[in-house]
Amino acid sequence: MIQLEHLTYFYPGATHPALKDISLELPDGQLILLIGPSGAGKSTLLRCLNGLVPHFSGGVLSGRVRVAGLDPVAATPRLLSQHVGFVFQDPEAQFVTDQVEDEIAFALENAAMPPQTMRVRVEETLDLLGLTPLRDRSLQQLSGGERQRVAIAAALALRPKLLVLDEPTSQLDPKSAEDVLNALVRLNHDLGLTIILAEHRLERVLPFVDSVISLPAADDGAILYADTLAAMQAVELVPPLVAVGKALGWQPLPLTVKEGLRFSRPWLAAQRQAGKLLPLQRRESQRPGEPTLQARGLRVRFRQQEILRGVDLSLWPGEIVVLMGRNGAGKTTLLRTLVGLLRPWAGDVSIGSRPNTGRTVAEICRQVGYLPQDPNSLLFAESVQDELLVTLHNHQGAGTLQQEGFPSQLLARLGLADKAAAYPRDLSVGERQRVALAAVTVTQPATLLLDEPTRGLDYRAKMALEQLLRGWRDDGTAILVVTHDVELAAAIADRVILMSQGEIIAEGPPTEVLATSPLFAPQIARLFPETGWLTAEDVTGALQCQD
Amino acid sequence: MMTEPLPPETPPLHRPRAASQPLQPLSWAGWAAAVVTIATLTRQPVYLLLLLASIGAVRWRCVQEPEKRSLSSLRLGLLLFASTALANWAMVRAGTTELFALPAWIPLLGGGWTLEALAYGALNGLALATLLVGFSLLHQVVAVRALLRLTPRAYYPVAVVLSIAVTFVPTTLLQLQQIREAQAVRGHRLRGVRSWLPLIVPLLEGGLERSLQLAEAMVARGFASLAAPHARGAQGLALAGFASLVVGWLLQLTVGTLWWTPLPMAGGGAALLFALWYAGRQHPYTVYRPQPWQRRDWIVLAGALLAAGAYLLPIFDRSTLFYSPYPTLTGPALDWRIGLATAGLLFPALL
Repeated sequence: MIQLEHLTYFYPGATHPALKDISLELPDGQLILLIGPSGAGKSTLLRCLNGLVPHFSGGVLSGRVRVAGLDPVAATPRLLSQHVGFVFQDPEAQFVTDQVEDEIAFALENAAMPPQTMRVRVEETLDLLGLTPLRDRSLQQLSGGERQRVAIAAALALRPKLLVLDEPTSQLDPKSAEDVLNALVRLNHDLGLTIILAEHRLERVLPFVDSVISLPAADDGAILYADTLAAMQAVELVPPLVAVGKALGWQPLPLTVKEGLRFSRPWLAAQRQAGKLLPLQRRESQRPGEPTLQARGLRVRFRQQEILRGVDLSLWPGEIVVLMGRNGAGKTTLLRTLVGLLRPWAGDVSIGSRPNTGRTVAEICRQVGYLPQDPNSLLFAESVQDELLVTLHNHQGAGTLQQEGFPSQLLARLGLADKAAAYPRDLSVGERQRVALAAVTVTQPATLLLDEPTRGLDYRAKMALEQLLRGWRDDGTAILVVTHDVELAAAIADRVILMSQGEIIAEGPPTEVLATSPLFAPQIARLFPETGWLTAEDVTGALQCQD
Repeated sequence: MMTEPLPPETPPLHRPRAASQPLQPLSWAGWAAAVVTIATLTRQPVYLLLLLASIGAVRWRCVQEPEKRSLSSLRLGLLLFASTALANWAMVRAGTTELFALPAWIPLLGGGWTLEALAYGALNGLALATLLVGFSLLHQVVAVRALLRLTPRAYYPVAVVLSIAVTFVPTTLLQLQQIREAQAVRGHRLRGVRSWLPLIVPLLEGGLERSLQLAEAMVARGFASLAAPHARGAQGLALAGFASLVVGWLLQLTVGTLWWTPLPMAGGGAALLFALWYAGRQHPYTVYRPQPWQRRDWIVLAGALLAAGAYLLPIFDRSTLFYSPYPTLTGPALDWRIGLATAGLLFPALL
C-alpha cells in the first residue's frame, strides 16, 4: 500500500530536514498509529502520502514515495484525492459548505460524478459513519465529535483505499473523541480500510491498533516501526496502564484495563498479604486563612437559558482545584463570570476579599490570571518577550509589578528562555500554550484560572505543565483548572469539582470523586480499585516505599 | 429557585428537503430582480405601497419558522424611512408649501421647511425600506449558497470561494469576540490606533492560518482552483463579446436607436453566452440532488416578469411612475393597470 524509500524533506528555506531518511513499507488493511513528540514531523509525513507535501508546501523532497501504486510527487494531490482521504485536526477549518449532505457531496461534485451515482454514494457514506439522522443539519449545530465524523465521511466519499488522519481528536472532549475513534475502528474492522492515524491519546486507541510508527524528536534516535506491543516496550512515554505494566514487569504488556486486571488483582492480593503496601500519602488540601476567590449563588443567563444555576465556589491559596463536566455544563461560563467577562444576574464574586462589582475586567485581572481555551487569540506581539511586557505595561500602576528581570525568570521557569526572541506564532502548540500562560501570569496573580490547558499537548508538554502548576501551588497560588483530561486531573488535583447543567454536583478530594466515577476514573483507579491510587506515580511510589 | 425549563437539546432541522419542495433559487432571484427594478424605478407612492404589501404577503406566507419571523428588518426599515424623510425635510429648501421657517443664519437647517421636501424624502425612504424588506425576505427564504450556485459553471471555482467567504464572516466575528475577551483579560483597553493591534493581529493571522488549512483540505478533496488550460479561446471570445456589448450600448446612447444599433449588443451577448457555455463544458462538475423545476417556478417567474415588464416596457402609462412632489404637492397620477401588474409578485404567497 505505502512504500517510502529514503524519504527526506526540507521545508522552503529550512536548513534542517523535517523528515530525515525515512524508509517504511506499510501493509494493506491495518490500523496504524503514528506517534512522536510535537515537531517530530508527524503532519509532514502524513502530508507526503497525498502529495500536499511538496505540492502545497513547496520545499525539497528526495527519496521515493509510492501510495496505492502511484507516486504522489509526480501525480497531483487532485489525482491522489481518489485514493487517499485526509482528515485534519480542526473539524471547522476543513468545511467548505454549511450542511452535512452538501459537505459529503462536495468531493463528488468536483469529480463530476453523475447525480444518480452521487446520490447512492452519499447515502452509503452517511450510513457508514452513522450520520443519517443528522443529514439535514447545519454543521454549526453539530457537536465537535459529530463534526469530525462528518469530516471523515467527506474524506471517504470518494472511496479512497487509504484514510489518513492528522490528530483528529486533539480538539475534542473525551466522549466526542471516543465516538470518532470508535467510528475509525469500525471502518478498519468492517471494511478493511487502511488507516493511518496520528494521535496523542494513546490510551483510547492502543487496543485497536495493529502497528505503531514512532517518529523521534528532531536529530534524536531512529524511526521505529513495530507491532503495538513491541512499540510500547520501546517507547518511553506511554499511557499510565502501560507504564505500570512495564514497571511491574507484566508480560505480555496489557493494553486495556481488562487485560491489566488479570495481572493487577493477584499482584495486589500478594502485596497485601505480605503487608508491604504502605498507606497512600496524599497531599491534604490546606485552607489557611481567607479564600482568595469566593463566589456565592452565581446565576448566569444567556439567550433565555440559565447556564449557571446558583454556583458557590471558593479557592484557597496553595491548592489546585480541577473542575470537570460534560460539554455545555457551564464550566467555561463559570470562569468567564469569575473574571467579570459575563455579568451574573444574581450572586456575587469577590477576589482577594474585594467584590467584583464596579470593577473592570482589567482591574479584576490584576489579581487573577485567566488563560482562555485558545492561546492563539492572545498572542500578537513581535516576540515572546514582548508578549509578557505588553501585559505588564497594560497593568502598569498595580504597584508590585516593577520587579526587574521577572519576565526572564518566568520564561526560564517555563522552559522558554531560548525562545524569548522568537515570533510567538511560529512556535509549536505546546510552546504557544506556555507563552500564553506566561503572558497572563507575568503579573504574579494570587489566583489562576486555566481553561483546557492541555488541549493539543503531547505527553512531554503535559508533564512539564503539571510540574509547573505544582510549583506555583507550592508557592501559594490558588489554581482552578477546567479540563476534560482525566489523567491530568488525577495527577494534579487537590480537590475536584464536578459540574452538570450549571450546578456543582460533587466536590471533594480526587480519591473520592474521581476513583468511583465510571466516566472520570483514571486508568490506574480502574486497575487498582479501593487503593486510592490514581496515577502511575502512586503505584511506583508505593513500590519504592518497600525498599 | 428558578423553574424555567431548558429548551430541548436537539435544535430544529435546517432547511428540511423532503417535506415540501421549495421554490428554485433561480425563481427567487427573478422575483427579487423584479422587486429591485420596481423599487428603483418608481417614486409613485401607490405603486410603492402595493409593492411593499406584496412583499409583506409573501413574507407572511413563505417564512414559517418562528425564529425567522422576528420584526427586526421591519424595524430597521421604519428607521430608514423616518431618517430619510427627516433628513430631506431638514436639508432641502425646494417646494412652495412652507410649514415653518427657522432663522436663516443657522447653517444647513435655517430657512423654510416645506411639505414637498418632507414628501419627497418620505417617498425615497419608502423605496429604500421596500428594498431592505425585500432583501431580508430573500435572505430568509433562500440560502446564500443556493444563490451562488446560479453562477455559470465556468465560474464554479469563484462561486465556491465566494460561498466560503460568506461563511467566513460569522466565524470571524466570533473570533473577534474571543480575541477581545482574551486581550481584556490582559488588561488591554482601547485607546488610539495602536491599541487596535492586539485585536487585529491575532484576527488576521488566525484568519490566514484557517484559510491555508481550508485550502489544503479542499485540495485534498480534489478541488481544482485553476481553470482548465484549453478554455483560453473561450475566455477570448467572452472578452470580445463583452466589448461588443459595451460598444453597442455606447452607440445606442450616442447615435440613438437605429435599425442596426441593437446588432452589436445582440451579437456580443450571444458570444458571451456561448463562451460561458463552452467554458462550462471544460469544467466538469455535477450537482448533488439538483432541485427539479416545477410548475410553481414557471408561474413565479412569469409573475415577476409581468410585474417588471409593466414598469419597464412602454405599454402602459409610464409617465405615472415618475411622480415628483415638487414644486407644489399634488395627488399622484395613477395607471391602475400598472398597479394590478404589481400583484404578479404575489405568486410565491399564493402557491
